Amino acid sequence: MTAPLVEIRDVSKRFAKRLDVAGKIAQKLGAGVREEIVHAVDEVNLTINEGEVLGLVGESGCGKSTLGRVVAGIHAPSGGQLLYQGDDVATMSSADKRAATLAIQMIFQDPFASLNPRMRVEDIIGEAPKVHGIVTRSEVADYVDDIMKKVGLDPSLKRRYAHQFSGGQRQRIGIARALAVKPKFLVCDEAIAALDVSIQAQVINLFMDLREEFGLTYLFISHDLSVVEHIADRVAIMYLGRIVESASTEEIFSAPRHPYTRALLAEAPRLDQRKRDFAPIEGEIPSPLAPPDGCFFNPRCPHAQDRCRSDQPQLETFGEAHSVACHYWKDI
Amino acid sequence: MTAVLEVSGLKTHFFTHAGVVKAVDGVDFAVKKGEVMGLVGESGSGKSITGFSILGLIDAPGRIVEGAIRFNGEDIANAPEDRLKSIRGNRISMIFQDPMMTLNPVLRIDSQMMEAILAHEKVSKKVAWERCRDALGLVGIPSPEERLRAYPHQLSGGMRQRVSIAIAFLNKPDLIIADEPTTALDVTIQAQIIHEAQKLTKQTGTAMIWITHDLAVVAGLADRISVMYAGRIVEQGLTDDVIDHPLHPYTVGLLGSVPTANKRGERLFQIEGMTPNMLALPEGCAFAPRCGFASPACKVPPAVEHVADRELRCYHPQSQVAAQ
Repeated sequence: MTAPLVEIRDVSKRFAKRLDVAGKIAQKLGAGVREEIVHAVDEVNLTINEGEVLGLVGESGCGKSTLGRVVAGIHAPSGGQLLYQGDDVATMSSADKRAATLAIQMIFQDPFASLNPRMRVEDIIGEAPKVHGIVTRSEVADYVDDIMKKVGLDPSLKRRYAHQFSGGQRQRIGIARALAVKPKFLVCDEAIAALDVSIQAQVINLFMDLREEFGLTYLFISHDLSVVEHIADRVAIMYLGRIVESASTEEIFSAPRHPYTRALLAEAPRLDQRKRDFAPIEGEIPSPLAPPDGCFFNPRCPHAQDRCRSDQPQLETFGEAHSVACHYWKDI
Repeated sequence: MTAVLEVSGLKTHFFTHAGVVKAVDGVDFAVKKGEVMGLVGESGSGKSITGFSILGLIDAPGRIVEGAIRFNGEDIANAPEDRLKSIRGNRISMIFQDPMMTLNPVLRIDSQMMEAILAHEKVSKKVAWERCRDALGLVGIPSPEERLRAYPHQLSGGMRQRVSIAIAFLNKPDLIIADEPTTALDVTIQAQIIHEAQKLTKQTGTAMIWITHDLAVVAGLADRISVMYAGRIVEQGLTDDVIDHPLHPYTVGLLGSVPTANKRGERLFQIEGMTPNMLALPEGCAFAPRCGFASPACKVPPAVEHVADRELRCYHPQSQVAAQ
């Protein structure tokens, strides 16, 4: 079997809130002031095979965007390894590393903030392939036209600036920019969350067309279960920096095991459920600065027992690559 | 049952330098006591402006140019500010999308909540405080006495939205207008907020207009649904009717765009094109340029047609669920 396209092993990302001068003095004088450390991503393992779409689902603050940024090489992991086609990116030769970084591109949530307002669309899309020698200077114009057509933009608009486009078109520009360097792998971080419903459908269709045309692999990060259910082959559910469950899309949606997954599925509004009584799970996501002991979900879990408050459950795999981090998944 | 609110022929226009923006252009609907109406539309469809118009919250260069807003029989469109003040927050209250914007960051929760009571009623501060405490308890905030002393920034997004809901229900209003109240929240928190709103409307008989872009949310919550497009309601009716048998091509398209399990992996039904520029609306039916069924007749704006318990603005009603 060939190595997975992208694999992350025990990847962690910690952010430390550095002390300011007053804090440092207070610390010197013996006050109990410490640097606060957030474990945004905590020893996560994921493999993504070529041609696959992995959906990463979680609520705000669960670390899904941070994980996406680590995979895309925007953040260096604080621990663990990022493997591209079986090789550790950190120990690659610089040429290989450049190739790996180019092959993994990212599409961001906010099409307003992620495009340079002072650049024309042709430069936004054409800059990277020119710099990386994918096309020569004389070919850039045709190349940009070609990519704009592929993402459904009219090439005659390429002299315009980003602000002259609607949200959906801007997201297409972001996608064109990512595609321009011929990536194999796209990290889509809430790429459709900011768009209107009718435009969302257009962009989801575009993602699916591009996947077919270019054989792309996606890490599709979203809080919207219905979108992930539609587009992903496998789904991983994240809670407070850890993966709590991962399985094929069919299994996650038909036979969820983790109580958090079940709660998410039960509470996502659906068209086919009318006038129902919403029966939400209690509580909110705890602060990642002070996660609870044991299983991070225990304060909100209806099935929590003593063991859940002391031991942190590890991911257990059963069946066909279905893993779940819960002490009592067999019983509930 | 009589309608708490009856909006007829409402037109709210904005007179900008670039031209007249007809944000709301002839909207009719009624909300009965205890009823939840879902007002659905995409950004720029005029759904929020409709809500603001009811409360008289339209600022220059916008104004209500035509139409009546009858609240318990009284026309409050362009009513004097004094009259509106006595209604706002008392008989009609509003829940906004962003609770950080609704709550004053430099006032404690108790002062802002008590203000809402004391502005409309002559009661002692102690009574007002007790009512605030009970209201917080009702929306599921643990240890309300403590929370009353907190500032908004000390609460999470979900907690803040609970506080704004508590404030909206404080004076037991007849009508609550909720403008995308759960859009900024996570799925589990959204379910909690919908749960609280649902419970309180049932208990108090308050009518509610729930403004949202998310059809799935109103499907589970509303009695009736009105779908807005470019300043007009293009279709309205009972939730089951509208969602199971949409008639307007736009509603059909919107419903088809929602990814659901039965179509996994296939291309979604998509509405072509984009939401129109409100400064240069197409002649006639505003949806015609994106509509697969448009005909020359669509150059003339369709009038409201009543089909049984439904209202529709379209020459080409769809009889079956075309998206399936």
